[in-house]
Amino acid sequence: MINECFEQLEKLGLDPVKVALSSVSELYAMPDSQLLAFKTELILQAYRFHYENNAFYRASCDQKGVTPNSVSTPEDLLKLPLIPISLFKSNDSHKLLSVNLKDIELEMRSTGTSGIPSVSRRCSDTVDNAILGIYSMYREFLKISKGAGLYLCPSTEEIPEMGMIKALNMLAGLLDTHQFMVKNESLVVEDALSQLDEWKNKFDRHIIGPPFLINRFIRYLKATNTRIKLDKGSFIITLGGWKRFSGEMLSREEFNQECMEYLGVEPSQIRDIYALVESNVVAIDDEHGVKHVSPFIHFSIRNPKKLDEEVADGEVGQLAILDPLARSTPGFILTEDLVRLLPEQSPSGRSGQRMQYIMRLPESTEFGCCAVNLDKRLDDVEAEQNCPVVA
Amino acid sequence: MYNDIIIENFSDPQHVGDLESADIELEVGNSVCGDRIRVQILLDDNKISNALFRAWGCATSVATANIFCDSLLNQSLDSVCQRDVEYKQQMLGELSPSQHHCMDILNELHQLLSEQRVAEDVANG
Repeated sequence: MINECFEQLEKLGLDPVKVALSSVSELYAMPDSQLLAFKTELILQAYRFHYENNAFYRASCDQKGVTPNSVSTPEDLLKLPLIPISLFKSNDSHKLLSVNLKDIELEMRSTGTSGIPSVSRRCSDTVDNAILGIYSMYREFLKISKGAGLYLCPSTEEIPEMGMIKALNMLAGLLDTHQFMVKNESLVVEDALSQLDEWKNKFDRHIIGPPFLINRFIRYLKATNTRIKLDKGSFIITLGGWKRFSGEMLSREEFNQECMEYLGVEPSQIRDIYALVESNVVAIDDEHGVKHVSPFIHFSIRNPKKLDEEVADGEVGQLAILDPLARSTPGFILTEDLVRLLPEQSPSGRSGQRMQYIMRLPESTEFGCCAVNLDKRLDDVEAEQNCPVVA
Repeated sequence: MYNDIIIENFSDPQHVGDLESADIELEVGNSVCGDRIRVQILLDDNKISNALFRAWGCATSVATANIFCDSLLNQSLDSVCQRDVEYKQQMLGELSPSQHHCMDILNELHQLLSEQRVAEDVANG
């Protein structure tokens, strides 16, 4: 049935990926087996494209004996060769391209604690897919179309290529107004507070940024015993790692408690997003705090000691992402993240995959995204300001 | 978005690698989120006999590192340090605004090389 459906779409001149991107609610309403069959066909189409257009990837596939003819079912997805995330940081990352560099429209990056940027390159088609995918997920889970956004992060003007900021900045287009509060590597909390006050009774006020920076804002409220009551339609939206540069882990539970106490929101108003610059996936918390994987992307959770095996649902393993939205580079990626898929039925009624982020692989050479460096930089700047020694 | 010079030098870089021992090492980069380039240079009788790089960052910065290394071969330090603005602009070709920081990188590499040359002159009396 799925094959016939794809044939019909193609006969009409429609791209099945684009149809999927505009049908998020419909995909989440499908029975799991049907959704998996649909995703599989999208992924296998993408696989065939990369096999045909990417000499480096094709050579890897041939070496492993995996060809377009040898994969056809959801079970075969396990066979698809995976690109380790480290290749996006390598000197010769040009070999990852399935299109010519002249067709690349956008380069995005993320930098963890090693300081070596992971650079992902997107052609026009991939940018189309990424934008449609991110916006459709924002609409599905946040239903935002108005309000004011207090961004506790730098603007894309200050760091235009940073994936995390770019994805958060896309939300701004849905709002009536917004302000970036980190300027020149400095967050003036008093300014953020007065901005929130200025918007009071005019807009639903949303606070958006990496967890560290929102935590930094809350620490100030705590220290000054200040409590804010945000609006019923407000969201606290986080994207980025939960581990600080110092290695200290932020507790999600504690973070939620503090948001409730100092920002006056309910747990259903706190939404975390999992995303990776190398992929086009966004997994967003629903109103129950359960993170849903984009329905057109497949998560395969591998045994870190035997990467050709999946762990059972509910068990922790290393995340492999199969992303059919990626056209400029193969979207079949082995991440350095440990996650687990949630086997329970979704209280929201949605089908598809739900995930819980656990941590970076212990042997990973680095952790965090650019937010981690930003947090450290703000700490350093504060320490410089507070240092009594004349330089 | 990318001119032919950048496409060729990014897609088929000829000077990637490491020297076991280098006479000059240059490193440019932004510690927070930016590009990083390390260039190693070997001198032979005051001429540059080899130059290799490692680069992490956008395609244009990787291409810039390759272009810089290629431009050094068989040149004297004096001639490299005397390059003017126009010459350096031509090395990278026309850049879009989002690539323009690579012109700064190229200038910084030349600047660092000049500083190294001065330091060597001082050391050699």
